Amino acid sequence: MPAEEMGKVTDRLRFVFAVSSLIFLAVLAISPLKDYNREWRQYKRSYLRFAQGRPDTKKLTADYRFSIDQIWLPSMNVVDRCTTCHQGITQASLADKSVPQPFRAHPPIPHNVREWGCTICHRGQGPATEVAEAHESTLAWEQPILPTHFIQASCGTCHQSDLPQTPQLARGRQVLAELNCQGCHKLQGIERPAMLGPDLSSIGTKVTREWIYKWLKEPRTIVDKDGNVTVNGYETKEEPRMPKFRLSEADLQALSAYLSVQNAKPIALYKISPSVVAVWSKNPELISQGELRFRQMFCSTCHSLAVTRAGETKLIGGDLGPELTKIGSKVNPDWLIAWLRDPAAYLPHARMPRYGWSDEDLYKVTQYITTKLVDSDLLANVPKLDPPTDQEVQLGRRLFTEKGCASCHVIEGLNPQKDFGPDLSALGGKNASELEFGTAKIPHNLVSYIQAKLQDPVSVNPAARMPQYSWAPGDLDAVTAALLSMKGAPLTSALQNLVVPRKAAAFHPTGSFAEVYERYKCYACHKFNGYGGDLAPDLSYEGSRAQRQWLIEFLKSPQTLRPNLILRMPQLNMSDKDAATLADYLSMVMQHPAVNPLTTDSKQFTPALATLGKQLYEVKYQCQSCHTIGGSGGYVGPNLNNAGSWLTPAWIAAWLRNPQALVPDTIEPRHNFTEQEVNALTAYLMTLRASSKPQKSAVLPGPRSPAQGAGR
Amino acid sequence: MRLRNLIFVLGLLPLAGLSGCRKGTAIPEADPLLAAYDSEPDGTDAQKAIPLGYQQAQGKRVFYQYCVWCHADATPAGPSNRSNLTPVPPLLNDGATLNAESDEYMQNIITLGGSAMGKSAMMPPYGRTLSAEEIRSVIAFARTIAQPPYQPPGRPGSQYSAK
Repeated sequence: MPAEEMGKVTDRLRFVFAVSSLIFLAVLAISPLKDYNREWRQYKRSYLRFAQGRPDTKKLTADYRFSIDQIWLPSMNVVDRCTTCHQGITQASLADKSVPQPFRAHPPIPHNVREWGCTICHRGQGPATEVAEAHESTLAWEQPILPTHFIQASCGTCHQSDLPQTPQLARGRQVLAELNCQGCHKLQGIERPAMLGPDLSSIGTKVTREWIYKWLKEPRTIVDKDGNVTVNGYETKEEPRMPKFRLSEADLQALSAYLSVQNAKPIALYKISPSVVAVWSKNPELISQGELRFRQMFCSTCHSLAVTRAGETKLIGGDLGPELTKIGSKVNPDWLIAWLRDPAAYLPHARMPRYGWSDEDLYKVTQYITTKLVDSDLLANVPKLDPPTDQEVQLGRRLFTEKGCASCHVIEGLNPQKDFGPDLSALGGKNASELEFGTAKIPHNLVSYIQAKLQDPVSVNPAARMPQYSWAPGDLDAVTAALLSMKGAPLTSALQNLVVPRKAAAFHPTGSFAEVYERYKCYACHKFNGYGGDLAPDLSYEGSRAQRQWLIEFLKSPQTLRPNLILRMPQLNMSDKDAATLADYLSMVMQHPAVNPLTTDSKQFTPALATLGKQLYEVKYQCQSCHTIGGSGGYVGPNLNNAGSWLTPAWIAAWLRNPQALVPDTIEPRHNFTEQEVNALTAYLMTLRASSKPQKSAVLPGPRSPAQGAGR
Repeated sequence: MRLRNLIFVLGLLPLAGLSGCRKGTAIPEADPLLAAYDSEPDGTDAQKAIPLGYQQAQGKRVFYQYCVWCHADATPAGPSNRSNLTPVPPLLNDGATLNAESDEYMQNIITLGGSAMGKSAMMPPYGRTLSAEEIRSVIAFARTIAQPPYQPPGRPGSQYSAK
């Protein structure tokens, strides 16, 4: 460019200047334009258009502001801007499914959305203002929304005690406890139980090396790919407990050798009186008599057996104890006799009661078990195993700890490794970047990770020591929800204050009652002040409910009060003294504060009042729809044929006034009886007395089903 | 030439800026069961599951605790009491019977019992045992599992909707 032209403004320069100015202007305009078209603004505008098309526009737009809305709960670390787009969340008129998202109202739940925000339950990123960042996992924002299917996990983060509204979560926690996951892992809110798997200190006296080999090689209970559970090849609903370990042939040889020599605390063997054997061993009725006693004692309340009916074989019976179809091919017959006489002598934590056996019954039942409940093919696939060598035993001992067996099973003199598996007490709060996915072809998020790990531990980590579990339908998701709920210690004290801890129930009776209670393991099925099983009625208030004499008779010869229950109280062959001890304690101690025997005066129960009560029962309230008296009536409530000998009048009256005050989740609704009606019905029920002799029932129970929900 | 290059680059800038205006990613349509609080097997096809929202799931829980004994043919404890009763109570998913009844009627008969509504006294009143919200949730559950499907009346005010 010549010197004289310097400083001269040429047309060309003007043109360049004008164009670049325009470009700069355009560039400057991009930012406000981008801001004007931000995602949330588009949703704001479309909500306004949507609301204007509804009849209640005024109400829908009362809180409308064209800005970011947020729920800010500083004490709980919540900054939720979700309501910026989800604007109709508290508008009742937008509850219908035809309302497009994100404007639909939140369905009614126990927590107010305005007070709790969104992310405490749904997770995701509260402060984000873009759809993807709020809902999904992005580079900077890692917590995605929790699928609603698992949302009970969020309830469980604070509610560590179980809620009726969250059955999936409760089931997941139950499975975690039943499978002894705490044996290897630290879990939030689930304590390590006193007894994990069975004590194996003397397993060598119970089963053979061959049986151990087979048990370790393939679990008895298998879940196929459709979710059908089979035990020993029979369909069941029983939960598989012992998982499948990945063991080589050498591992199987070594572990079976090590276990088969365990004999630290052998059970004292018992010799059945030779005279009983002499009489019965020749009797052709021996086995059928044994089977009859087996049924009469209601072993099937806890143990299931494969039964063929109409060409269909299925398992029938309870699942408190193991399934017994092939038990005769498993256990040593001498061990079986000793075990049946006194289970706690072999396994101190066993839940099986110590029955009162006569030698005759013991002989008949054990002969039935070892003759009929057998399968000659049970050990067909097991190779010939020689007597264990020292080398095998030494290797087996090492493997027992290394494979994690010692984390669930006790062997005297062997200590488990501490913290065998990873700590899972904060797993539910982990980001995907903190997890090892290995080469697994699964979506990189926490839910997929947990499910892949549970279904096949080596899929995400080829070196995993975790064994292979099989999951009954629904349990995989339930356990996933329970694990997702464990987010570690809360971040703020306000959140800590929200935690409802799980209450550990305990019942520590003393004296002669405690001995009898422990002998018959009453707590395996019944609850006492919150402690115990839930197979049978809660006995916390049994003293207020039942008359002492009835209790004694019932304990001596249990008969069901509920015709539709299949699992019945076993015949424990209790002595008079034991029955009296239990009845005395229950009557004196297990009392309900609201049932006062002094408030009902049986003198007022005149025949006229009882007649009125009968009318009320049969005509006005038609109680026969649920209760049976005589031969007719319903199967929902207990049979009332013997109500006058069974129940106390104070209990009947208190029950009629408010059943839920006595048994909170009982089915019987609270009626609106007048006091006179309460007295009349009580008077009538007290006249009902059946003959004291119970009919012996030897009917094999029908298909197994849980008796829960039918507490009397 | 250099100038032209500069203009060219400047001209590209706004385009680059605009490309930053990413369209909002649409959330993919999720599996209806993964987006549901709970589910209930379809009465006519056991292979199918009906997704349930929170309220309907609470209704399911209440139903299986209190109602199932007479309003279903099988119960969690085995046989049902239904065949024992005259008149025979409707099944909860019996749309042919229940779809015609209004939400208010259903709420009343559960709350007050059969005799108060001119029906059998065998249906006891649950208004002093269950909360109004629990009773509403049972109705919502019944509406969801109804066969044939329930169509909500075409008037405002009904809080229940077809699935």
